[in-house]
Amino acid sequence: MTAPALETRALVAGYEPDLPIVRGVDLSVAPGELLVLLGPNGAGKSTFVKAIAGVVPIHSGSVLLGEREITRVASHRKIAEGLAFVPQTENIFATLTIHENLQLAAVVLPKAQRSDRIAALYRRFPDLASKPSRLAGALSGGQRQMLAVARALIVDPSVLILDEPSAGLSPKIVGEVFSMLKEINAGGVTVILVEQNVKAALAIASRAVILVEGQIRHEGEASSLLGDPLIAKLYLGTTKQASEAP
Amino acid sequence: MSLDLIAYAAFFLTMALTYAIMCLGLNVQWGQTGLFNVGIAAFVAIGAYVSALLTTPDAPGRFGGFDMPIAIGWLGGALFAGLAAWLVGALTIRLRSDYLAIATFGVAVTVQLCVLNLQPLTGGAFGIGFIPRPFGSLAADPLAFSLSNLALMAAVVLALYLALQHLAKSPWGRVLRAIREDESAAQALGKRPIRFRLQAFTIGGAIMGLAGAAQGHFIGFIAPDNYLPILTFQVWAMLIVGGSGNNRGAILGAVLVWGLWALSAAAVSAFVPPEQQARAASLQIVMIGIGLCLILLLRPRGILGASNALASLTGKRKQTSRE
Amino acid sequence: MNPQFLMDGLVAGAMIGLGAIGVTLTYSILRFANFAHGEMLSWGAYLALAVSGGLGLLSTSLTKPIGPFSFGWSLPLAAVVAILLTGLLALAVDAVLFGRLRARGGAIIILVMASFGASLALRSLLEFIFTSKPAYYTKALQIAVKIGGGLRATPDQLLSLGLSLVAVVAIHLLMTRTDIGRSMRAVSENPALAGIAGVDVRRVIRVVWFVGAALACIAGIMTGLLVQIRPYLGHDLLLPLFAAAILGGIGSVPGAMIAGLIVGLSEAAAVQIVGAEWRAAVSFVILVAVLLLRPRGLFGRAA
Repeated sequence: MTAPALETRALVAGYEPDLPIVRGVDLSVAPGELLVLLGPNGAGKSTFVKAIAGVVPIHSGSVLLGEREITRVASHRKIAEGLAFVPQTENIFATLTIHENLQLAAVVLPKAQRSDRIAALYRRFPDLASKPSRLAGALSGGQRQMLAVARALIVDPSVLILDEPSAGLSPKIVGEVFSMLKEINAGGVTVILVEQNVKAALAIASRAVILVEGQIRHEGEASSLLGDPLIAKLYLGTTKQASEAP
Repeated sequence: MSLDLIAYAAFFLTMALTYAIMCLGLNVQWGQTGLFNVGIAAFVAIGAYVSALLTTPDAPGRFGGFDMPIAIGWLGGALFAGLAAWLVGALTIRLRSDYLAIATFGVAVTVQLCVLNLQPLTGGAFGIGFIPRPFGSLAADPLAFSLSNLALMAAVVLALYLALQHLAKSPWGRVLRAIREDESAAQALGKRPIRFRLQAFTIGGAIMGLAGAAQGHFIGFIAPDNYLPILTFQVWAMLIVGGSGNNRGAILGAVLVWGLWALSAAAVSAFVPPEQQARAASLQIVMIGIGLCLILLLRPRGILGASNALASLTGKRKQTSRE
Repeated sequence: MNPQFLMDGLVAGAMIGLGAIGVTLTYSILRFANFAHGEMLSWGAYLALAVSGGLGLLSTSLTKPIGPFSFGWSLPLAAVVAILLTGLLALAVDAVLFGRLRARGGAIIILVMASFGASLALRSLLEFIFTSKPAYYTKALQIAVKIGGGLRATPDQLLSLGLSLVAVVAIHLLMTRTDIGRSMRAVSENPALAGIAGVDVRRVIRVVWFVGAALACIAGIMTGLLVQIRPYLGHDLLLPLFAAAILGGIGSVPGAMIAGLIVGLSEAAAVQIVGAEWRAAVSFVILVAVLLLRPRGLFGRAA
């Protein structure tokens, strides 16, 4: 059995040391999966992926990328290991041009590879190639998302994590972004999505995991969850277990 | 001999108490309101000079000569300093904290420059002398003089302390605390944060002016060199050491830091040969600078511990900047 | 009005601009007003003095003035060493003080307060080691040459102007065309995202301290050369430096130099009009005007 692309074991994490938001999560993501993380607001989905990326402190537990434990690896080294993260807001450098955003991201690559990788990304995202000297801050919401994903792809990551990529985008653009993600996944990259747009996310995902109050409450095939009343219950009403005070 | 010692101790304590008044003023601005005033020296200077001008007899080539009683001088000093604080605050209070620091720093530099250059108004580099001293008739008897001045200053500090404690517990003080802790909630209730902050800044400035006046009258002589940025630094060091956010800490910090400063200066002049005194004084200041950094690193809550201001800012609170 | 003040203002402005570039870089990337920055100018000047003096003792030929300038090779050589040492000094202060306070996650105000303490200690240490007596790199006098338009300038002044220009261009190229420059700009905008994108933020911070200190050192040496070296050299320039950095727009390198020139020229003009004793007030007026009317300065980002 091949090692999971990404695995967390009993992960506990949070901004404050005495206030864990992620309260013991065991997750295993197989290579090539497109996993979506769902859950009501405040469930800790964002905090969970941020902890994996190294932006939020991990209190206990471990994170493994492939066979390698990366729990204590410095945040800026994780992308070099093949773990790319696209945050929800402020995910591009607005004061840098498109090209500079990519050049910055390419610094983790050996010098010889950089221009080739950037050229490859321009081929994949022709919208960005049309005016690379444009300030990233002047881009539309959808274009920004493209740039953010392009930036993350520059290292040819094994795992790509995105935090609510559909946030603030019109339905049409959401469709474009999601089909791009499906393409990336088809190319062999393991993709993990945190999403509030349940319908669009389940349409492209292979598997879904539902997080409530910092813990996994349900896992299942994406297609089977689409019509499941459980989703509505978790999002709109009370959960199966009584919530405890933290 | 011991009578001299008592007189000296009383003198030292009286000076420390004038600094305590400045600290209490700073505590209103910083401890209660979170305003980072790096121009303390400006308000102290204004209080001192206004009071001096109001109470000294005529001097050739210089404005003044009103020859008013000391109490009027002190009141006038506090009033003008408060007015100046109100003006400065009206211009700068909306600025974020480090810009406020730079701006108030600039105010202090400018005020000192004005005091130095406007000779017809302030006596320029020569300063103002013959400022009437409280209990001046006792000047011949050092012990009686210093003890009565100490009593006066202690009474002023006590009255101020009680007034400020009362103010903090009053409805006005409660609104200020609410604004500190949750500005948007306070705003939702109809309280305007800017107005309250400005009032606090003004009150703090007036108190600093009072301190300046009190100091000037106690020594009897003021000069522009008394109001350099180092004065601002001294008062901040006192508040931090004592425990900012805390009126008792303000007084204790003033006495402690002044004690350390004066003692080390006395040690320098006693034990160091005259040619080396300037150098030794520099070393003394190096120690003080390092000392402040150490306190910030090791015990930022100060001796008595901060109840709110500094403590909440030295903790692991997430910053609200663009992170 | 004598047009010579334009030359004086330009020269002074170039010094201020150079220092202001250091301020704007550290301010935009480290995010606090470092009141100890002035001491880097002073320390740079004194370190160069010490090394230059040492070199002069080793070989008196090094003190012979080069060409039309007032100093010998001992000074440029000393300058290189001084830049290195000043950079190390800044890194040391960060390691011991600011870095620790940053790691604790305290508010900006604590860093600013600590910078007062550091500033006081550093300045007084200079006073202790060198005393407050003004010092000079060289006793050689300079004749001002006519450069047209009724203006005169000494070779030293012209060299300083030239070097300042070179320094500005060099730093601008660094920021816009190199990897480290892009990383610095990225960290200035969003340190968390920079980390995610693979930038070693700690390393960038170290580079920023070094570059800021190096520029301050050069500005300090120039001021020491053109005016005099004294412990309050940097501290007295603090308000003009901040005014220029804020007028130029925090984070803008060309902005800092342009604003520095504006401050220098304004000071020189004020000296002509209201007298030299009011020089320091000019920076304050400019500062308040900027903060009230256009806080982001000429070329800064909108808040």
